[in-house]
Amino acid sequence: MMDFLTSRAFKGTVFVLLVAGLIILPFFLRPFGLLLVAMWMVHAVAALGLNLTLGYAGQISMAQGAFVGIGAYCTGLMTLAGVPYPVAFLCSGALCFAIGWILGYPALRVQHHYLAFVTLAFSTLVFLVMRNEEWLTNGIYGLTDIPRPILFGWNTGKAKDFYFFTLLMTSILAFCVWWIIRSPWGRAFVALRENPVRALSLGVDTRRYTLMAFAMGSSIGGFAGALYAPLVQFFEPNSFSLTLSLKLLLMVIVGGAGTFFGPFIGAATEVLLPEWLRIAQGYYLIIYAMLVMVLMMFCPTGIIGLGERLISHLRQKKISSERSAQAQVMGTDKPGQKEGAGQ
Amino acid sequence: MTPVLQVTNIRKQFGGLTAVDGVSFSVNEGEILGIIGPNGSGKSTLFNCVLGQLQPTEGEVRVDGQLVTGLRPCDLNRLGVSRTFQLLQVFPQLSVRDNLILAGQEHKGSMGTRLFGARDAGLTMDANRMIEFFRLSHVADEKAGGLSYGQQKLLDAAMAFMAGPRLVLLDEPAGGVNLTMLGHLRERLQAINAEQNATFVVIEHNMEFVMALCDRIIVLAEGKVIAEGTPDAIRSNPEVIEAYLGH
Amino acid sequence: MAAFIQLFVSGLATGAIYALVAVGFMLLWQTSQTINFAQGEFVMIPAFFVLWAIKILGVGFWPAVGIAVVASLLILGLLFKRAIVDPMLRHGVLPLVISTIALSIFLKEAVKDFYSSQAQPFQAMIPSEDINVFGAVISSQSIFILLIASGAVFGLNKLLNGTRLGRAMQATAQNPSVARILGIPVERMIMYTFLINALLVALASLMISPIYLAKFTNGDTLGLAAFIAAIVGGFNQVRGAIVGGLILGVIENMAAAYISAQYRGAIPLILLIAVILWRPQGLMGRAEERTV
Repeated sequence: MMDFLTSRAFKGTVFVLLVAGLIILPFFLRPFGLLLVAMWMVHAVAALGLNLTLGYAGQISMAQGAFVGIGAYCTGLMTLAGVPYPVAFLCSGALCFAIGWILGYPALRVQHHYLAFVTLAFSTLVFLVMRNEEWLTNGIYGLTDIPRPILFGWNTGKAKDFYFFTLLMTSILAFCVWWIIRSPWGRAFVALRENPVRALSLGVDTRRYTLMAFAMGSSIGGFAGALYAPLVQFFEPNSFSLTLSLKLLLMVIVGGAGTFFGPFIGAATEVLLPEWLRIAQGYYLIIYAMLVMVLMMFCPTGIIGLGERLISHLRQKKISSERSAQAQVMGTDKPGQKEGAGQ
Repeated sequence: MTPVLQVTNIRKQFGGLTAVDGVSFSVNEGEILGIIGPNGSGKSTLFNCVLGQLQPTEGEVRVDGQLVTGLRPCDLNRLGVSRTFQLLQVFPQLSVRDNLILAGQEHKGSMGTRLFGARDAGLTMDANRMIEFFRLSHVADEKAGGLSYGQQKLLDAAMAFMAGPRLVLLDEPAGGVNLTMLGHLRERLQAINAEQNATFVVIEHNMEFVMALCDRIIVLAEGKVIAEGTPDAIRSNPEVIEAYLGH
Repeated sequence: MAAFIQLFVSGLATGAIYALVAVGFMLLWQTSQTINFAQGEFVMIPAFFVLWAIKILGVGFWPAVGIAVVASLLILGLLFKRAIVDPMLRHGVLPLVISTIALSIFLKEAVKDFYSSQAQPFQAMIPSEDINVFGAVISSQSIFILLIASGAVFGLNKLLNGTRLGRAMQATAQNPSVARILGIPVERMIMYTFLINALLVALASLMISPIYLAKFTNGDTLGLAAFIAAIVGGFNQVRGAIVGGLILGVIENMAAAYISAQYRGAIPLILLIAVILWRPQGLMGRAEERTV
C-alpha cells in the first residue's frame, strides 16, 4: 500500500484525475468560479517559474512579480495595438527571458540574502517605472479593455472558453517545466543549488546555468503575465508591486520548493483558500499568515514535504509493526538486521 | 614524452604569508604520485592552485603540455582533469546513480543537446558499470545523503572517474574511512589505474595508505619540496623524519 | 542655500530614524542570523499600541507611551524571539524569512482589521515650532529627533563598548560557539538584542508617526528603508547602519526636491544595487568571508 502511494503509477493517476476534473469543471461552476480557477492556474504558472529559479537552482529571486507585470504589460499593450495574441505571448516570454538573464548577473556576484535584496530592489524599480512612465504604461490609470484572444476562429471571450484556453496554455507550460526538470539541466540545477563548488569541479558551468535559471524562471513568469492580461482585462501597476513577488515566494515555499506539484498547491492556498475562508469575514489574510508561520515551524519543506513526511512515518510504523509481528512469530524480541550493509 | 601534469615554480602568497614557495613537479601517464607533509605545509593550497580554485601568485601548470594556469575548474574538468575533495562533497538530494550521471553529463554534447536530448544523457550504462565497480549496487537508487560515510567516500571517488579523466587529483581520500573500507578503496584505485592507465596525484596523511598506493612520493614542508622519491626512499629520508617530528 | 539647509536637516532627521531601525535590524542579523522582514511593521505597531491604550484604556498620552514601550518589549522582543525565531532557526534562514514575511502580513492586517485602515493623527512628543537658523526654517521636530536619536545611539554605543555586558553581546555576535565556551550565556545575549531592537523600533515609531501619521501601510516604506540603510552602510557594523540611515534620509530628501518627486524612491534602490554589487560589505563594513 505504502509503495503504491509513492509509486509513479499513483502520481500519474492523481495527475490524470486532476486534469480530467479540471476539464469537466465548467459543467459545475459559474463564470465567476471558472475565472477564479483560471486565476489559480495563472499564479501556479508564475510559481512554477520561480520554483525553477529558487526551488531547483537555489537562486533566490524576489522579482518574479515584476516579471509577471512585464509580461502582462507587454501582452496588454501589444494586443491593444492589434498585434495577434500568439505574437504578443511569445514576445512577453522573450522579453522576460532577456531581462531575467541580465538579472542573473548579480547572482554571479552575490548570493542568498544579498541576492534577495538586489532582486527586491529591481522589483521595486520596475514597479516605479510602470507607475511613472505614463507615455508607455498609462501610469496609475493602468490598461483597460484588454481583449481576449481569438485563436484560429475560436473566440475565448466567454468565461468558459477562456477557462479552457488557460487550461490548455497552463498544461503546455507545465509540460515544458516538467521536461526541463527531468532533463540533464534539471540535474545540473540541483547540483548548482546543493554544492556549486563540487558541481564546478565536475564540469558544470555554474555561471551559465545560473543565468539560465534566472532567464527561464523569469520568462515563465512573463508567460504567466501574458495569461493574466486577458484574464482580468484591466490592471494597474499596484497589481505587480513587491507584494506579488512576496506572495509568489510564499506560494513556492508553502507548496514545497523543489517539487513539481508544490507551486500548484502553493498557488491554491494563496488564491483558492482565501475564497473558502471568506466565511471568516475578511480575516482570511490573518488566518493565512498564521497558518504559514505554523507550517514553517513544523515543516519547512512545505505541504508536499508534509505529505512525504506523513507517508514515511506511516511506512516506518508499518515496518516496525511487521518486525514486532515477526519477532513474536520467532519467539524473540531482537530487532531485525538493517539492510544494505556495505560497511 | 610530455608529462600529463607539469607544475612549474608555483608560488602562492596570502598577504604576508607564503603558503606555497616555488614548488615544481611532474607526473607521467599512469603514475600514482603522492604528496605528503605535515599540517600547514601547503599541500591543499598547492592542489587548489593546480585545479584553478585559486590563482597562483607565480608559476604555471600544464596538462599534456597545454597551459592551464588559472582556468575555471569546469573548463579544466572538460580537459580531462578531475578531483575529489577533502570534505565529502556528494549531492545528498540526488540518488547515487543520478550523482554519477551528473558527474559525466557535462562532457556529453552541448547545453542544447542536454536540454532536448535523453534524460540520462546516455550515461545509465556507464553509471551502472561504475556502481558495480565500486560495489554500490545495493544503494544505487537511494539518495546519496542517506548513505554511510564510507559509502559516500566511494561515491565521491566514483564521480571523479565517471568522465574517464586523464588525471585525477585526490585530496585525502582516506580521511575518516575505516580499515576494511580503506583496503577496498585502495584496491579499487589501483584497479582503475591499471585498467584506464589513469594518472593520479594523491594528498594524504595516512602513511600506510600512501606508501602502499603510490609509485612516487613528494614531501612538502613549509611550502617547499624537501624530498622526492620512491616510498622506501622517503620512509628512510632523515629530512622527512625531521620535518614530521620537528613539528 | 536656505532651502538646501532645510532639506539637509530634515533629511538628517528622517535619516536618524532610519538609522535606529537599521541598527536594530542589523543587530538581529548579527547575533542570530535573523532577517526580520517584518521590521517595518515593527516600527508601525508601537504607535498603534499608544493609540489603543489611549482609546481603549482611556489613559493619557505619556502613560500610553509607557504601556506601548512595555508592550513592544514583551511582544516585539520576547514573544517574537521565543515563539517565532527560536523554533524556526534550526530549519535554516529561508523558512525564517518566510515566517517574518508572513508575520509582516499578519501585523499589517491585524492593525487594518482590528483598529482602522485610515491614517491616524499622532501626537508629537514635543510641540512643533519653527526655528529660524541663517534664514532656513527648521522644525523643532527635526532637532528633537536628532537629539533623541543621537542620545539613543550614544547610549547603545556606551552599552556595547563600555560595559562587560555589551562586550559579551559583541562576542556573541562575532562567534557564538567561542562565546559559549567562554561561559557567556549566549541565549540571554541574543534575547537582549531582541529587546534592544524592540526599544529602538518603539522609539522610531514615536518619532516618525507624528510626521507620517499612523497607518497600517507604514511598514512598507520603513522596512525597505531599514534594509537599504543597513546594507548601504555596512551590514556588520553598528556605525555602518547609522551612516547608512543618515545618508539614505538625506539622499531621499534631496532626490525628491532636485531630481524627481516620482522617482524619489528609485535613488535609494539604485544605491542599494550598486553597493551590493560593488561593495557588498557596505560603505563602512568589513569584507565578509564568502564561504566556498
